[in-house]
Amino acid sequence: MRSIPRKQLEELLDIYIGKPEGLPDIEPEEQIDFIEMYFREGAPELTLLFFVCNLALRGLALLIKRKPFSRLTLEEKQDLVNRISASRSPLLRGITYLLGLPIFMSYYRREEVSVPLGFDPKTLKEEADLRTVTRDRDLPPKKEGSP
Amino acid sequence: MILGPDDVKGNVSRSADIVIIGSGAGGGPLAKELGGEGYSVIVVEEGAHFTREDFNIDPLEAYTKMYRDAGQTIAMGMPFILLPLGNTVGGTTTINSGTALRMHKPVLKKWHLTHGLKDITEEELNLIYGHLEEYLFVKRADPEVAGKVANAFLAGAENLGLSSGWLPRNAKECEGYGSCAFGCPSGSKQSVDVTFIPDAVNSGVDIYSCCRADRIKTQNGRATGITGNFVDPNTGKATGYGIDIDARVVVLAAGAIFSPYFLLKQGIANSSGQVGKNLQIHPAVQVVSLMDKPMGPYKGIPQSSYVDEFKGEGIMLEGGTVPPEIHALALPFAGDRHATLMTQYPDMGIFGGMVCECDSWGRVIDGHRPGYRPTMLYLLKGSDVKRAKEATALITEIWFAAGAKKVFTPIAGHVEISSVKDLKRLERSKVRVTDLYGMSAYHPLGTCRMGSDPEWSVVKHTCESWDIQDLYICDGSVIPCSPGVNPQLTIMALSIRCAGFIDDRLNPENQPA
Repeated sequence: MRSIPRKQLEELLDIYIGKPEGLPDIEPEEQIDFIEMYFREGAPELTLLFFVCNLALRGLALLIKRKPFSRLTLEEKQDLVNRISASRSPLLRGITYLLGLPIFMSYYRREEVSVPLGFDPKTLKEEADLRTVTRDRDLPPKKEGSP
Repeated sequence: MILGPDDVKGNVSRSADIVIIGSGAGGGPLAKELGGEGYSVIVVEEGAHFTREDFNIDPLEAYTKMYRDAGQTIAMGMPFILLPLGNTVGGTTTINSGTALRMHKPVLKKWHLTHGLKDITEEELNLIYGHLEEYLFVKRADPEVAGKVANAFLAGAENLGLSSGWLPRNAKECEGYGSCAFGCPSGSKQSVDVTFIPDAVNSGVDIYSCCRADRIKTQNGRATGITGNFVDPNTGKATGYGIDIDARVVVLAAGAIFSPYFLLKQGIANSSGQVGKNLQIHPAVQVVSLMDKPMGPYKGIPQSSYVDEFKGEGIMLEGGTVPPEIHALALPFAGDRHATLMTQYPDMGIFGGMVCECDSWGRVIDGHRPGYRPTMLYLLKGSDVKRAKEATALITEIWFAAGAKKVFTPIAGHVEISSVKDLKRLERSKVRVTDLYGMSAYHPLGTCRMGSDPEWSVVKHTCESWDIQDLYICDGSVIPCSPGVNPQLTIMALSIRCAGFIDDRLNPENQPA
């Protein structure tokens, strides 16, 4: 992942995440650290594919928007990604899907993002820790008067 | 006992009656059954051992620690399909949904007619299923705990008059913490790591975690043990300590992807040429709905309900809830459009449609990838593509009947369905395999299939290899064709059946005079 400059990853974060209303801003440092870790732990080919997809996206900007990727506004970049996502070509769709995979995860896994959306893992874990589930097979209590 | 990397301070050399490679739905029940019969049993498991204290409802932590390649295992082909695999004591059962269904009845007939497996009878299977259901506390999901998404979807299915219900699950007193796929934090899910494994250990079975078998020893056409290496749970690399076990019986139970990979790498037990072939995975589509009312909070059972109206045609709908970071991947947009939808996550539902394949082609090969990694090739073809579309359309129709305002599908050209007119357009359309995306699959099967003909199968109905005596293969790989449902209960049933044959082999009293 070191082969993709952090600045380009930051750019991808802005494009993919957008501005979700009422949710916190992107945290580039933290999220890029996550993305790097995600690739380090995963299948080695995925890192290479991500690199290729990043290059391909930049190439497609020239073909579709007739402008270098760096000269596009954020809205134009988002439009480019959405147009490619809507393509009938699985190869083109794959590019945007793969790029989005670690980026979306890096943002929506953050507690300050997931909690306002209703997913509060810490509270769930605390609640679960209080429970005791055994493998005992208790017989139902005897009813009064039963033999 | 369960021995981890910290307990191993040098090379290990041991002997046992039985050595089992893998501790999932195949290996776990075998270890418990044979250990309980008094045999000395050793299990080697590549993954690490986790307990409920480790299960933090953190998807990423679970992916990196308990899944192979951080959950990024992919079947290459058309389309690319994410095929997550567990890598932990308990195997994939530790991180599966806990659905415990019996095989569809007509499938057994197919096993009899197509694969010559008449020795596996319905009566015998039902007996084992019944025992397993009791042992694993299998019962239907509680609607009170299941969550709003599942309840809304089932209400939609009922509105349409479709056959549907609550899934039987191996969960005891489940309170729906929504994280079956990341390890059950309350200990409710009766996965192999909290059931068969502790019982096996109580019978004296030793389990070496973080230990990868790399070779089955053979002599004069018989399996005589295994060799392997201990691996660092953080890097997956060998620690430098090896393991060498002599055994009377060797069982390979590494799952339908890694069992054939193991055999192909070593070049054994493949006189039929069938090892790694016939891969089935139950490819699945996910369909997201934007409802007219809140579906949250997130609490609930991730997979608690089903629609089986078209099970005869190989379509099963199952589903419920996923956390935001997974949900975000199922939406087809990026940027502000995606952000706007994600802010409505509390009003959204997701449901899956699983296809039991007829025409598709899949195979596991040794593609010489870096590290210890098989290559999975898969082509979704023919009527299976049509059924993936039909499953998508059916889920969409149910969502609308449940009150959805919009539905998002994984089919290019039909990603956003806002009206019945859009749905009809989807139903009429001819969907090509290239139109499908974002698919996943969860049940690899069939890559060392059992059968009555050694030319077309890898193991006998007893799960013993046709080629190597005393080598048994016992996991999803031996299932010759899809059971039509989530296969964990069937894998366990075959495992218990196999334990009986191994007992017969090893116990002199059971030998014919």
